[in-house]
Amino acid sequence: MTGIAAAHYRLLVIEDEVDIRRAVGAALRDHHPAIIEASTGKAGVDAVDASHPDLIILDLGLPDLDGLAVCERIRSMTVAPIIVLTARHGESDTVALLNAGADDYITKPFSTQELAARVAAQVRRSRVPPTEREVIVADGLSIDVHRRQASRDGSSVRLTPIEWELLTVLVSDPGRVFTHQQLFAAVWKRAFGDARLYLRVHVTNLRRKIERNPADPRLIITEPGVGYRFIMAP
Amino acid sequence: MRQVEWGLWLGILVVSSLIMRSARPNIEQAHASFVYILIVLGAAASGEQWLGILVAGLGFLAINYFFQPPFDTLTVGEPSDLLALIAFLATALVANILLARARAEAQRAHRHAAEVQALSEEVRHAEALREASRLKDILMASVSHDLRTPLTAIRALAQDIAADDSGATARAEVIVGQADRLGKMVADVLDLSRLKGGAFTMNAEVNTAEDLLGATLRQFSGVSDASRIETVIDYTQPALVGTFDFVQALRVMTNLVDNALRCSRDTPVTISVTQTNGSLSFQVADRGPGVPPKERERIFDAFYRPSGAQADAGAAGLGLSIARQLAEAQGGSVRYSVREGGGSIFTFELPAAQLDQELRNEN
Repeated sequence: MTGIAAAHYRLLVIEDEVDIRRAVGAALRDHHPAIIEASTGKAGVDAVDASHPDLIILDLGLPDLDGLAVCERIRSMTVAPIIVLTARHGESDTVALLNAGADDYITKPFSTQELAARVAAQVRRSRVPPTEREVIVADGLSIDVHRRQASRDGSSVRLTPIEWELLTVLVSDPGRVFTHQQLFAAVWKRAFGDARLYLRVHVTNLRRKIERNPADPRLIITEPGVGYRFIMAP
Repeated sequence: MRQVEWGLWLGILVVSSLIMRSARPNIEQAHASFVYILIVLGAAASGEQWLGILVAGLGFLAINYFFQPPFDTLTVGEPSDLLALIAFLATALVANILLARARAEAQRAHRHAAEVQALSEEVRHAEALREASRLKDILMASVSHDLRTPLTAIRALAQDIAADDSGATARAEVIVGQADRLGKMVADVLDLSRLKGGAFTMNAEVNTAEDLLGATLRQFSGVSDASRIETVIDYTQPALVGTFDFVQALRVMTNLVDNALRCSRDTPVTISVTQTNGSLSFQVADRGPGVPPKERERIFDAFYRPSGAQADAGAAGLGLSIARQLAEAQGGSVRYSVREGGGSIFTFELPAAQLDQELRNEN
């Protein structure tokens, strides 16, 4: 990322604990000098309105407003990525926020490198409109979404229609966490009996076809209790 | 108490009769009747209904015998005397019945009041329990938040120092490591107390064994020992599936693998999955020293440390205890067994799930 582009990239941190705001600032200031801070949900919503940030980091446990309400308000105002700070893995609140339009989450206590990496991934995402990607290459796997062709190291990979749907949704927005509900809604557009139960089975089958080592996936990452994300391995 | 009442009122009856008898020239039948009615009421009010009735009968006889001419006989001289006697008896009996009824009413009211009081105490008790449990939840949430907040700040800022190449790196890395250790302990203690309190809600869904395995390996990415972890999966078979809470099963697996890595040095830790008789079975096998027979159940006790363990060998001895309880809370189990050729096997079993044939054929 170039320094000039980064300087124009405004981050908003909505978090009531001043020390966490400082920690977030310490993790991100090298790449993002323009960080706005808000200590309440209301101040955060006002800051979105006033400063039009390019990315928002939102704490789940704010003193004044419900995290879900803040997330919905912000999502109705801007398309900027929202990263949620949460206290526990697989918390149902986190899933609700992702379903309400948050893009990613990170669990406390987080690693600063991890936070910086997540922010960088969201910055990359927001710079490249999803529709522009046609052929995706990740970890030796090449995916041509429009032609519905995939190959690994020269040999083609055959996928079932549901696996294609699943992969298409996941690669449409690399780095974004898709909740189980979102994937189900996108892949099974009609009611398919209790097929929802089988989402995880299809992901497992898909991994067997596209991952180098299906037991240690590098492309489709499980977010425990939340959903899946596709990673563009560097 | 009863004898006292009977003696008292019969005594009063006799004494009053004697006094009135001796004053008979100056006393009329009506006066005597009033006195007897009063005695009947007093006897009935004492709580002994039969005493009231007996006194009424005796009063009836006494009036007739002593105070109705012809005196000192039980003969009734005039029809109006008979009427007076019947009126006396009727009045006395009605008074008796009314008093008895009033007393029963009072007793019922009293019982009722006692019941109401008991009930309201029960309700208060239940409310107090609910309130206590609510307070505990709030406390847990706030302890969880309050412990994590400083940890997050300590960890992140120490990492920031560590990243600055100023010679403070090594020390800051110690802070990061210790903050992580503390963070894990906080999570373990909170989970253990929630498990003990039965406050754990399991979210059982159909999940695949491979998905759980992959997530487990990912937990160890970046850990230097991770290269020792091996997985054994039969890819010629359809994906193995079970019904379990993914997040909690992941904690069980992470704790078992963490334990296996700590118990062994430079030898592989092998994770394999099989499905038999309705259960999905994960086996985490190491080539460590194994566990002596008498400690094989105790290793699942909270805060248990093996006899030869170093004081700071990882977490606070909660990993296996939490693993077993999390497994059991969702209908599974964690067992220890000796590995042939040396080492330990920890077997984590979960309820298996059956898939439709349709889905299996699809692939």
